[in-house]
Formats: sequence, structure tokens, C-alpha cells
Amino acid sequence: MSEFRGYIVRRTIYAMITLFLTITINFFIFRVMPGDPVSIMVSERILKPAVVEEVRAMFGLNLPLWQQYILYIRNLLIGYLGYSFHWKEPVINVIMERMPNTILLMGVSTIFSVIIGIVLGILAAWKRGTKIDVTILTSSLTFYSLPVFWIGMMLLMLFGYYLGMFPIAGTMSRPPPEGFFERILDILHHMTLPAITLTLISYGEYTLLMRGTLLDVLTQDYIVTARAKGLPERRVLVRHAMRNALLPTVTAVAISLGFIVSGATLTETVFSWNGVGRLIYDAMMMRDYPVLQGAFLIISISVILANYVADIVYGILDPRIRYGGQGA
Amino acid sequence: MSLQKLMEEHIKSLREFANTFFKNKFGVIGVAILSVFIFMAIFAPQISPYNPMDVKSIGVGKPFSPPAWIKIFNKDIPDDSVFGIMGTDELGRDIFSQIIYGSRISLIVGFAASFTAVFIGTIIGLIAGYYGGIIDEVLMRFADILLIIPGLPLMIVLAAILGPSIRNIILVIGITSWPSIARIIRSQVLTVKEMKFVEFARAAGCGDNYIIFKHILPNVMPLVYVNAAINIANAILIEAGLSFLGLGDPNNISWGMMLFFAEQYQALLRLAWWYIFPPGICILLVVLSFIFIGHALDEILNPRLRLRR
Repeated sequence: MSEFRGYIVRRTIYAMITLFLTITINFFIFRVMPGDPVSIMVSERILKPAVVEEVRAMFGLNLPLWQQYILYIRNLLIGYLGYSFHWKEPVINVIMERMPNTILLMGVSTIFSVIIGIVLGILAAWKRGTKIDVTILTSSLTFYSLPVFWIGMMLLMLFGYYLGMFPIAGTMSRPPPEGFFERILDILHHMTLPAITLTLISYGEYTLLMRGTLLDVLTQDYIVTARAKGLPERRVLVRHAMRNALLPTVTAVAISLGFIVSGATLTETVFSWNGVGRLIYDAMMMRDYPVLQGAFLIISISVILANYVADIVYGILDPRIRYGGQGA
Repeated sequence: MSLQKLMEEHIKSLREFANTFFKNKFGVIGVAILSVFIFMAIFAPQISPYNPMDVKSIGVGKPFSPPAWIKIFNKDIPDDSVFGIMGTDELGRDIFSQIIYGSRISLIVGFAASFTAVFIGTIIGLIAGYYGGIIDEVLMRFADILLIIPGLPLMIVLAAILGPSIRNIILVIGITSWPSIARIIRSQVLTVKEMKFVEFARAAGCGDNYIIFKHILPNVMPLVYVNAAINIANAILIEAGLSFLGLGDPNNISWGMMLFFAEQYQALLRLAWWYIFPPGICILLVVLSFIFIGHALDEILNPRLRLRR
């Protein structure tokens, strides 16, 4: 058990270091950019030059870089992410307002793509070399190769504009319908097309991963032994192969959960879904660096956290990992 | 060995490789599709019936004209309201010509961006894997951070700062997508490094550079090829995505940019399917051709996979 504790300690230290480096890089990326937001306001003649220095001082932009960095870290420690130039609100409010929409959309489509991906992957590996395998493989590769925004546009044109079955934009009707259940149904109605779009492009990854690892496992000695013992094929597949083959997929799912908060810029753009992905794009166009910096930070933290959880889960599921020294 | 003999050996092994490759169904389909698009890109001025930027005033079509062949299904449409084989866009420009010219951007960006990423990724993977220790630690932490910062948003930020041009799009995709390649190459280097012939080379007094480029690199090259093919596919998809967001080079029409304009000018509301359908299908075919080629290379060059058959 002490090896396992050592493994967890190593992973924790590693995650902390990565987090610190990411925060630092995140700070510097947005300081080396040409034109801070104040100078953009000046060029657009929103502010008089005399006011500019005052605004710079207010945002701490007149300090030397290292002092700005210290200030940034200190603000992060008290949970202050800065103030949005464009939305005129604290950054954390701007992001959190859109976070539920993004988590809902990404969460639902991730669940669907994982389930569909795993089921098709197992089916393809089980029926390897047959027409079923080739069909699953080809369709997975095809959806993977399609631009996500194009699938969205096609679905929107057909089911939104032409057939009128689904709303063409937004996350909710305006004004929102009365009553709790009506409201939930309304959101689900708006969410259907974007969720289908995201599921279609991402299930293939899990299918290919599941099929690949299962085929790898099926050539292992212990499977040959299990078959040689005369166990029925189904039992070999379920009891011996699948348990081991699920490992990489579990890790992949855990890691992808970290990216849920980053949203899907392209899909959110097509469906005018008011989420974090679209926010990042809008903030960039407005040169609203505090919002961008805040969004990148929140996404990075959740990705690091998800990777950390994935490492721990892997350590629990696969004992070889925690005795393997570096554990990478 | 004489130079001529070396060349003969080389050609022979190439021919053997080609023989195996063309026995692979995925490989053949991939190369076939890709050849069509490469032909299109090279001979774009000869094939396209119009200049893709010419508007109605110089004698192209009416804005948003459907393709001429829909008259087969609906004879009531007047002759001047249909145009060409793919119809026209919001300015009455010929969509077919835009599609042909668009293949140039996709292929150039795909190859150049992927070359950048694979080049950086291979060098860093070789160095990190071979030297190990602190060098490995630093390089891999840097790669990890790039993998943690969300890809597309980072590229949006970089593309918006650098400004819209093909060169910048190539740079942005290239410098953000090397980390995953570096990781794959590094882990392969770790395996190859432990092999006997590397040990012998070192014992014989070979320098680090010699060992890396003469002994290790040739053994990771198969992996480099497979990753390059998959990387080109991804680069083409990313270029399309960035252009769709309006971050593409406005002087060079690309498939992603066509879809950007289609959305801006409400092609969806007008149900202008002839405007939306072709760019998407072309992106699909080109990306799929590289994925198929990558899949075929993987099966041929990665002997572990052959056992599965």
C-alpha cells in the first residue's frame, strides 16, 4: 500500500508543478500580445489620452512586468480573475454565466459518444474482418473526417430551417416558457441538434480506441490460454478481454471530461449556443484579455484535475503502474 | 558499396513498399482520392471555368443561383436563374471555380503545417528520449502545458494576433500541434535506445548525433510517416475551422471560408444547399484520404498490428 501512497504523492506534486507552470505561461501569453485593451479603446477614440494613464493605473498595466505577475498570482489566490473590459463585469461572472450551458451540452454529448463509441468498438473487434467491422470502421473514420461546423450547418438547414422541427438558434426560447418542466423541455429542444452534432464527430475516437485495445488484448497469451481451455468465445470476450481493454478508454474518458468546460467554439457558433467556447471567440474579437485569461485558466485547471484523476484511477485499476517507478 | 548499387537497393525497397501499400484497400482508396485533389490544385486555372472572384458585373451568374442541372427536376425555373454545375454564391460568383481553387489552400496548409509540426515534434521527441534526465523533463513539461491549454481557443488567439494570412495559419497550426507527436516519438526512442545495436554503436565510439540520426531516427521514421498523414488530416480540419470563424486569408478563398460567407449571408435561411454541400464534401474527402493513407501506413509499417489479422 505504501507504493500506492508514493504514487499518489508523486502525481500530486506533478499536478501542482504543471498547474503553476500553466498559470505562469497563461500570464505571459496575454502580456506579450500587441496592443493592450486600453490602447484599443484609445485607437477607437473611446477614451481621451489623459484618461488612458488613469485607466492603465487602475488595471495595474503601468507597473513593471514582474510586479504585474505578483499582483496576478495574489489576485488568483483570493479568487479574483480580473475585470472584463467589454462586458463591464468581473471576469468570473462573465464565465460562470455561460458555464452551465456549456457543461450541459458537452456533458450530454460526451456521455452519448462514450456509450455509442464503446458499444460499436466492442462490436467491431468481436466481428473483426467482417462487413460489420468494416462498416463501423468506415463510418467512424468518416464522421471523424467531417468538419464539425459543417455537420451542424447541414442539420440546422434540414431540421431547423427546412423541416422546422427544431429551433434555429439559442439555448432557450424568448421569453422562456412558464413552468419548470416546460422550461426543461424547451432547453432540451434547443440542445438536440448541437448535441447530435458533437456526438457524431466524437464517438469515432472511442470506437477506434476500444476496437484497437480489444484487438491488442485478444492477441495476449492469457486470452490464448483462456481459449485453449475451451471457454466459450463470449466468456473469453466479457470476462478476460474486456476488463483489460476498458482501461485506456476509461483514461481517455477521464481526460476528455477535463475539456468539457472548454466548450465547443465551432458548434456553439453555428447554433448560437451561449457557452464558454463562443465566449472565448467573442472575447478575442473584442481583445478582452482578462476574460480570455480567466477562461484559459479555468479550462487548464479542470484539464489538470481530470488528468490527475485519470492517473489515480489508472493506478487503482492497473497495479503494474504504481510499482513502475516513474509511473508514466 | 557503389552509389549505383545503393540506388538500386533503394529503388528495390521502394518498389517492395509500393507493392505492399497498394495491396491495402484503404491505402489505394486514399491515394486515389488524394490524386484527384492534387490534380485539381495544380491545374486550377485550366480546369475552373471562371475566376472564382469574378462577380455578376463581369458576366457570371445572379446571386444565389442554384446549379443548372436542377432544371431536370423543375422545368419552370427560368434559364437565367440557374448557373453552372454548382450554382453561385451571394455575389453571383461561380461556386465550382471556388471549390477548385479551394483545394490549393487545403493542401498547402495541410502539408506545410504538418511538416512544421512533425519536424519540431520529431526533433524534440528525439532529444528528449535520447538524452533523458533534466532535458527530457523540461521538454516534456513544456509539451504537457501546450496539451493542457485548449487547442482551438489557443489557435484562435494566435491567429487573431498574427493576422489573417496563409503563412500565419500554417505557423499557428504547426507550433501548436507538435506536442502529441513529440510524445509519441519520445516513447518510441526510449524503446529503440535500449536495443543492442545502439549499445554497440556507443561502444564503438560513435557520437550522440551520429547515433541519433543514423541509428535511432531510421527506426522511428515509420511512426513519423503515420503521424504525418494523420497530422495533415487534422491540419486541414483546423484550417477549415479557423477560416469558418473568419480568421482565414481573405485574398485566397478556401473551403472553410466559403462556409463562413455562406453563414454570414444566410445561405441556410435561403436553403442554398448547393453553396453548403460542396465545400463540406471536399473537406471530408481530402481529410479521409489522408486518414486512409495513415491507416494503411500504420498497418504496413507497424508489425505489431499485422499479428492481429
